[in-house]
Amino acid sequence: MVLMEVDSEKNLLHRKQSLYQSLDENFGIQKEVYRGQQYSQIYFARLHLMRTLLYSLIPNWKPHLPVCTVLGLEEGKECIIVGTLYKQMKLKPSILDEYSKERSASPLVQRHNFTHLDDNLVLEDESGRVKLSGCLLPSAYVTGNIIALHGKETSAGEFLVEDVLEAGLPQQIERPIELGEDKYVVFISGLSVGRSSSNPLQFQLLVDHITGHLGDEKEQNIAAQIVQVVIAGNSVEVPHGLLNGQNLGSKDQSRLFEPIKELDILLTQIAASIPLDIMPGSSDPANFSLPQQPLHRCLFPGSSAYNTFRSCTNPHCFELDNIRFLGTSGQNIDDLGKYSEANNNIDFMERTLRWRHLAPTAPNTLGCYPFTDRDPFYVETCPHVYFVGNQDKYESRLIKGSEGQMVMLICIPRFVETGVAVVTEKEDI
Amino acid sequence: MNSGNYRKRSAAETPSPQQQQKHHAAMEEEDLDEDVFLEETLLQYEEDSQVLRELEESNAIKERLQKWERPSLSQAYIAQTQSISFQQLEIDYIIAESHKELLPNSSGQAAILRIFGVTKEGNSVCCHVHGFEPYFYISCPPGMGPDDISRFHQILEGRMREANRNSNAPKFVRRIEVVQKRSIMYYQQQASQSFLKIVVALPTMVTSCRGILDRGIQIDGLGMKSFLTYESNVLFALRFMIDCNIVGGNWIEVPVGKYKKAARNLSYCQLEFDCLYSDLISHSPEGEFSKMAPFRILSFDIECAGRKGHFPEPTQDPVIQVANLVTLQGQDQPLIQNVMTLKSCSPIVGVDIMSFDTEKEVLRAWRDLIREVDPDIIIGYNICNFDLPYLIRRAEVLGMAEFPVLGRIRNSRVRVKDATFSSRQHGTRESKEITIEGRVQFDLFQAVQRDYKLSSYSLNSVSAHFLNEQKEDVHHSIISDLQNGNAETRRRLAVYCLKDAYLPQRLLDKLMFIYNYVEMARVTGVPISFLLSRGQSIKVLSQLLRKAKQKELVIPNAKQAGSEQGTFEGATVLEARAGFYEKPIATLDFASLYPSIMMAYNLCYCTLVTPEEVRKLNLPPECVNKTPSGETFVKSTLQKGILPEILEELLTARKRAKADLKEATDPRVKAVLDGRQLALKISANSVYGFTGATVGQLPCLEISSSVTSYGRQMIEHTKKLVEDKFTVLGGYEHNAEVIYGDTDSVMVQFGVPTVEEAMKLGREAADYISGTFIKPIKLEFEKIYYPYLLISKKRYAGLLWTNPDKHDKMDAKGIETVRRDNCLLVKNLVTECLYKILVDRDVPGAVQYVKNTISDLLLNRMDLSLLVITKGLTKTGDDYEVKTAHVELAERMRKRDAATAPSIGDRVPYVIIKAAKGAKAYEKSEDPIYVLENNIPIDPQYYLENQISKPLLRIFEPILKNASKELLHGDHTRSIAVPTPSNSGIMRFAKKQLTCIGCKTPLSGSDRTICKHCKGREAELYCRSVANVAELEKLFGKLWTQCQECQGSLHQDVLCTSRDCPIFYRRKKAQKDMAEAKTQLDRWNF
Repeated sequence: MVLMEVDSEKNLLHRKQSLYQSLDENFGIQKEVYRGQQYSQIYFARLHLMRTLLYSLIPNWKPHLPVCTVLGLEEGKECIIVGTLYKQMKLKPSILDEYSKERSASPLVQRHNFTHLDDNLVLEDESGRVKLSGCLLPSAYVTGNIIALHGKETSAGEFLVEDVLEAGLPQQIERPIELGEDKYVVFISGLSVGRSSSNPLQFQLLVDHITGHLGDEKEQNIAAQIVQVVIAGNSVEVPHGLLNGQNLGSKDQSRLFEPIKELDILLTQIAASIPLDIMPGSSDPANFSLPQQPLHRCLFPGSSAYNTFRSCTNPHCFELDNIRFLGTSGQNIDDLGKYSEANNNIDFMERTLRWRHLAPTAPNTLGCYPFTDRDPFYVETCPHVYFVGNQDKYESRLIKGSEGQMVMLICIPRFVETGVAVVTEKEDI
Repeated sequence: MNSGNYRKRSAAETPSPQQQQKHHAAMEEEDLDEDVFLEETLLQYEEDSQVLRELEESNAIKERLQKWERPSLSQAYIAQTQSISFQQLEIDYIIAESHKELLPNSSGQAAILRIFGVTKEGNSVCCHVHGFEPYFYISCPPGMGPDDISRFHQILEGRMREANRNSNAPKFVRRIEVVQKRSIMYYQQQASQSFLKIVVALPTMVTSCRGILDRGIQIDGLGMKSFLTYESNVLFALRFMIDCNIVGGNWIEVPVGKYKKAARNLSYCQLEFDCLYSDLISHSPEGEFSKMAPFRILSFDIECAGRKGHFPEPTQDPVIQVANLVTLQGQDQPLIQNVMTLKSCSPIVGVDIMSFDTEKEVLRAWRDLIREVDPDIIIGYNICNFDLPYLIRRAEVLGMAEFPVLGRIRNSRVRVKDATFSSRQHGTRESKEITIEGRVQFDLFQAVQRDYKLSSYSLNSVSAHFLNEQKEDVHHSIISDLQNGNAETRRRLAVYCLKDAYLPQRLLDKLMFIYNYVEMARVTGVPISFLLSRGQSIKVLSQLLRKAKQKELVIPNAKQAGSEQGTFEGATVLEARAGFYEKPIATLDFASLYPSIMMAYNLCYCTLVTPEEVRKLNLPPECVNKTPSGETFVKSTLQKGILPEILEELLTARKRAKADLKEATDPRVKAVLDGRQLALKISANSVYGFTGATVGQLPCLEISSSVTSYGRQMIEHTKKLVEDKFTVLGGYEHNAEVIYGDTDSVMVQFGVPTVEEAMKLGREAADYISGTFIKPIKLEFEKIYYPYLLISKKRYAGLLWTNPDKHDKMDAKGIETVRRDNCLLVKNLVTECLYKILVDRDVPGAVQYVKNTISDLLLNRMDLSLLVITKGLTKTGDDYEVKTAHVELAERMRKRDAATAPSIGDRVPYVIIKAAKGAKAYEKSEDPIYVLENNIPIDPQYYLENQISKPLLRIFEPILKNASKELLHGDHTRSIAVPTPSNSGIMRFAKKQLTCIGCKTPLSGSDRTICKHCKGREAELYCRSVANVAELEKLFGKLWTQCQECQGSLHQDVLCTSRDCPIFYRRKKAQKDMAEAKTQLDRWNF
């Protein structure tokens, strides 16, 4: 660890340290190959995984009811079925629209939300599909959710839902009982270096602040308690149209590279004093599909020289002093916002945890690697802190599970627009 | 089995006849009656017993089917205390013993008409109509007395007996009556003359008797004499309908006491009875009687397990599934959804599945379903040429004599015969005519082909076009695999099969076929089944006969008269002054020009005066019109024409229908009325064509050439008036200019700059010029084109305005003719260019767009699916005289893999690839999938020169100087990229070596990613690689999830191989590109 030298030579403040363990392995796709596999396999893996789980919960939920497959439904017989939801949406954009005959006169307005009152849900398992009716609210669910439903088949061939069972929060690892000292983790997202509206000074202020170069002794004391910085995506913005396959002229090369270089300089300052995790986001030079792979080290010749600099996947999972953190750069929540409805983004976050699935809309509307034998977005262990980057505003909420699980949910706002970074005290959790 | 892919062996590939300037004689077959003897249609005794045995065996399945029976009869019907009112859908006749009770005076065989229909309660009806006799007329030779007639009768009877030696009919010519009638041909001053009405025993005898009279007959005292026959070419069922005032699809009522319940039920209908033709009450389709009965519509589709590499043949390949969907007319949801499968099949929610162990059981169950469900209309996609004949032939191969009892007559088999249908409008089409007694067949494939001009008629592209929905298409080689799998895979197939049965029903609803066709039948008076199987002329003839009957006129069978008549000059087209017009162009249209001309000048058969007659009769000039083509017609003061009268009625009825349509609120009533006004419009316009069809039923080129000559005159007249009146001298701001004129419209540039002013002048001109014409000819101002790109005659594009604030749409004629042998690129390019030119007013933008596209093409960055050309394979390579690209390719593919190669009837998609110098064009075709997989370079020059250059130059030549040079030979054509094929030539021997990602220098030593010169550019190069991956990932996700959506399942792999689908090739390519890009990106992980 690097010592921080502040003003007075004799009064040295020591940066606190924590035990860090990366849990990103699950999100790596280095060993995966595109072999012509399709998306059916990840749905299958998800269904298999979650159905086993839901089946184990049913005896505690409604032990008296029989469990059926979609095929085994009989008209009028009450039962429980488990399967993948599919939401039929009128407004959902389709790639086939590109081929529609009539070109509309006015350019299409990009919609922010594709839900509609006529949307309806279908439940599918390997054996077939059944249309759902009853108490299940289509706007709260998305394609890819796996749930258990209690109800019966109507004469019209629909399944009349009476009750719903979601997987609920997963088990949490035991929280360390004595924490002893205060430690902080800083979350930043949406730095968007290179965007015309980004203010380099703002970021520099932040860096100076957390590295302890600003403020009085009290503030420096706090700064010294920061044990980890996490950058949750969208750190740079590369001008559009520069990367269309042609070799770049030297001028364009610099335009492309300038923001990345600027970022590297600032990251170097952080990494020199605090451990730093950087996650890729939708605007970063990384792949598009989830899970996004770590930003390449060659982009950060300066900061990557430090062993405190870690380039991570998105989603990102790690433990600090046995406290588990899980988060994404925001795509999963943004996609839920397009295809379902909630009061605020924290609600979406809470839902994903209760569904035990980080990104149910992948692969349907959220780009995703076609995994063949696993679903890395399944949340096996409940985190203590669940964060999502690149949101409109800061929000947080503490939720409790039925088995005493406690999770801190954090929406990290876009720094470039709000100038806000989130500091979390580990004591809070 | 659906995919129109391999169903359009004959039909779809027939080139559509070009609209010709000169009207040529075209074939229009005569319809002949065919007597069917009841006994012959019924199964023989030995077969009967077998059938009975089979029936017992299938009782179990019968019970399952019973729940779908029609609603049971009400007590009033059973007690016969209620008159029977029903909507008839089908009328035919049969030869059987005449009814002893109803017709006590006659004996022997007679034609009995059968009317099939449905009551408003949904009960099926079979009404046997007795007492109506076939007849025709000849003109009575002058001086023929009653004695002469009876002698003539005897001679004719003798000649008939000679001609029909095989017949054991006791009497041929029943009687001959003298009637007072008049021929419809030519203006005649005397009111009427004597005709002989010859009544014969059976309908076919009309034809044979006509033959005898045509050839001449020896009559004592008169010598050898041949007779011109009148109305001897009218089908018996139509004759009956005309005489009883029945029109297709109307309601018929038989009062209480006038019908007798049949002693022995011959049909499966719930209400079966006998009555006299004179007791029928025919209701005209108004008010309550304009509604539709709740008839049952069965939509079905079959799947067959073909052998690898062969189109399924009924002699060898089994029927494995039949999907059935029954809908009640007017309801949104199907009543029944059912699939019958060979071998087990997992259940499908909401669908009734019946699985059987043998194919025979499947077929038998289907027959039982037809019997129990008792559909009135059978629909499907290409059922007439594929599904039905296949089932029937297959049953024959399996030795199931009892299978083809599908009609409503007990123990009566369906009849199959080959038919050719030809007309000037639709060209010649071969088809199978399958008669299922009492049920109307409605093949959506035929109907769509008839009514819409599309680039492809596969079910996939038709549903994409009308329903905006892609259809999963499973290749027939996969169908067998699915069948041979387990209950799950067969379920998969069943879902697919059901969808193919569902789509025709949806098309039927969406295109309002039932309403439109029933209304067309009502307006023209022909049975519904005629509308699909016969040409236009029967419809006009039916109206003409009805009208003639009212007026005591008779229509000669003047078939031969037309043949020696030649051609005549068609419509006129004013020369097009090609160019790009940036001022508003007003379009003045003649409303229903040809019908109006016929009405205005009283053009008809019965008003035409022959040149000799003109001299003889010495008609005063104020009583006649001399047409520009030199014919003379009397004015309506002397004789009102029948055709003008028919047209007047049609147009008035249309006006009324349109007015009612505005008032109507009930959507069903609206549908009926809209169908009616459309039918009326089409009918009015087909009258002119009827008179010009030289081998038609009653050609009269004097009329049609007069019509077109008046039309020409009017266009010229309009041009002259516009250009004379709207001048600076006449007080207007600009000189008007007629830039183009077509058959019934004139395009005028008034010179004013705004749409509003042009509209004002357009209306003024229309009113002014209309005043100079005889009523009801009327010139209407309809729309403005602004801007307007006129390329040549019949080729133009423009923005269409009907109100001055906002344009309605872009209208293009003759430019985008999406010809089948064009690739999608052409269409996209042309549409986009027109859009940029006309809507965005951005000519430089359009030019840039063309340049970019051409550059993309040359740099091999084009989406392959845009370059695919598709042609149907109709014969094998040896049968073609000239080698063609698609046939050659099919041969080559067969050598590669017989299982997936296209077989006859398939459509072959191909792209043109680069080949050795001097290679023939047909050698350069290649399978797009093969091209994708092996990185084979396409031939951009071919696409540039043979596909896109002509349409582009056509558009740009009026706009740009040196269009060709600018667009096709500019700087953007300099750089060319050709990928290296991975399968051919020298590449097979090449050793693979890693090259630098930056500069492509071969790498050596320990470098795995970039060479030492490119060190330092890592960030840039990496960004590029990763951006490429990101783009592909985005595309990959969108494409493959779309396909999951189409197939309707998340947990099953996508199997679809629909080459008609725009994303099929992109999907394949995305998969391959993704794999490559990922490998490339992984090289950075050092």
